[in-house]
Amino acid sequence: MSYHSRLKKDLAGAAAEGLLTPEQADRVWERSYSKRAFASFKAVHFIGAAAGLFVALGLILVVASNWDKIGAIAKMGAFLLLFWGAAEACLRLESKPAAAVPLETLWFFMPVLGIGLYAQIFNLSGDPVRPYLLWAALSAPLAVLSKRPLAAHLTAILLFTTLYWGTLGSSNMLSLGAPRINEAVQPLWHWALALGVLGAGVAVYPGKKTGLPLGASAVWLFMMLVADTAIKLRSSALILLAGMSLAVLWLAWGERGDGEKPVLPLTVWTGAVYAMTFFWHYKTHDYGGYGAETTSAGGGLALLLFAGALATVLLRKQRVLPEGQTEDYLAKGLLAGSMLCAFLLFDATEAAAKLLAVIANLILAAFGAACIVSGAKNSDEKLINRGVAVITLTAVTRFIDLFGGLLKSGVAFIVTGLAFGVLAYLVNKGRKALIESVKK
Amino acid sequence: MNKLRIALGVQLLFFAAWGGWLLSSRNSDSPEFYLETVPVDPRDLISGTYVALTYDISTPRAGNCSFRDKFGPVFVKLENRGKTANTEAGPVPVYEAADCSDNPPQEPGWAAATMRHGFGGMSAAYGIEKFFLNENDPRKDAASGSVIAKVKIGHGRKLVLLDLVKKI
Repeated sequence: MSYHSRLKKDLAGAAAEGLLTPEQADRVWERSYSKRAFASFKAVHFIGAAAGLFVALGLILVVASNWDKIGAIAKMGAFLLLFWGAAEACLRLESKPAAAVPLETLWFFMPVLGIGLYAQIFNLSGDPVRPYLLWAALSAPLAVLSKRPLAAHLTAILLFTTLYWGTLGSSNMLSLGAPRINEAVQPLWHWALALGVLGAGVAVYPGKKTGLPLGASAVWLFMMLVADTAIKLRSSALILLAGMSLAVLWLAWGERGDGEKPVLPLTVWTGAVYAMTFFWHYKTHDYGGYGAETTSAGGGLALLLFAGALATVLLRKQRVLPEGQTEDYLAKGLLAGSMLCAFLLFDATEAAAKLLAVIANLILAAFGAACIVSGAKNSDEKLINRGVAVITLTAVTRFIDLFGGLLKSGVAFIVTGLAFGVLAYLVNKGRKALIESVKK
Repeated sequence: MNKLRIALGVQLLFFAAWGGWLLSSRNSDSPEFYLETVPVDPRDLISGTYVALTYDISTPRAGNCSFRDKFGPVFVKLENRGKTANTEAGPVPVYEAADCSDNPPQEPGWAAATMRHGFGGMSAAYGIEKFFLNENDPRKDAASGSVIAKVKIGHGRKLVLLDLVKKI
């Protein structure tokens, strides 16, 4: 059940019990509901948007099927007329979303329709990425100027999709990977173009929400560091350091725009620490063969990311736990620790990797416990649930991962259950003490 | 609203200008000639039906061409060296790559291309690697060596693909 469905149900329940008047319940729900990303969208608008998309695609196919029967100038003229008609109707019906939304969708797709049409008429071919970049460039004014966030969302998706697809390919104007293993890297202007597309994708994303575009950028950069590019990393320690630093940077700087906690970046960071716990099984490898050398640019960038993330942890307000001096120290320590323990891998011994795994387990345990305690203190049920989930997942994984046998696993479950019991007792005791101190 | 109308005007102007440029390039006063080509048959929901074409001139070897191993723009000299093909309209000249240059002389016959990596190593792309046709057109299933491409050199020394002609 979604948040808003639950809220509506809770408000209806509160109104039924007389805690709120039905009018107040309605107003609270309306206030919360209107702050969503697609606040003004109703089901009919989504259906309308789909209608616009289907009409655009259908037109392409209709034109293609009648290819031989229509002259070049007639096709281009019809296209320009249709383009103008759709856009003009969208502008005139601005106040009627049921019509304006599908028309704006059609307007957004008109440039690519035109590019495809011209390619058919004149038998054009060439770089596969270029039409999509041209489409994004032509649609950017609509994305920036439209009152609705629809075109901005679509343009951002288009730019990021093109960025991922293009940079991971090997023979287009955005390619950053070597055409073949260890072969010459792509020209420098490919990087400039890729960074331009990345910047445009972030800039065009609507509102002040930096969370998703920043996350998409971080994931893209990590992929470039791992792939056979000019910034490739081939050291486990540097890959881990860069990955953890990016996770911390995303967590620190990604804003949702609604004041809510950064759930996705926090989950990714937790997942990254969780993945580190598997370094218990790490074996020293000879990484020769596949693009064996870390480039100086890649190594420098990884260290730069680490420095940036560390400075962010030290100087910026932490967003892992609720505010509080103890929470701040703990959260900053956990974040810094999650990055610093990557340095253990520079030794590249199995003992160092085991120590890294132990530290990762401790970070998860400390994070989980801190969530439970802090959640109890702040009456934040979701935070408590998060803490319990992290500790349970870590414990269950370790039982399966390390102990294996029924007897050992059984004993470990009992020990963990008792630890949970003690934790629950301490949390309850702390909560009562807090209530008492407030009463005094 | 006015700004959006200006944006719309820019979009329409772009397509009108681009269409005009492509039309004038196709109708430019330059000789038409033919190229050996090998078609294959990919399809694309967005683009419609087309045959992908590879050319002998895509891997030029003559003159300075064999030393090219860098990405980026290049100019290829195309000329007839006596090769012909029989079509319904009679024998026609088939052009071949004769030389490559970064800065070609101001004389006709030089076509702009881009060196890029393909499956078989570096190849020259001319922007004529797709020929769009009706899905019922028999040329869609043309066997290797059974068709030749009719082209001309248009604006900016770019090759313009005019037709795919069956050999007899």
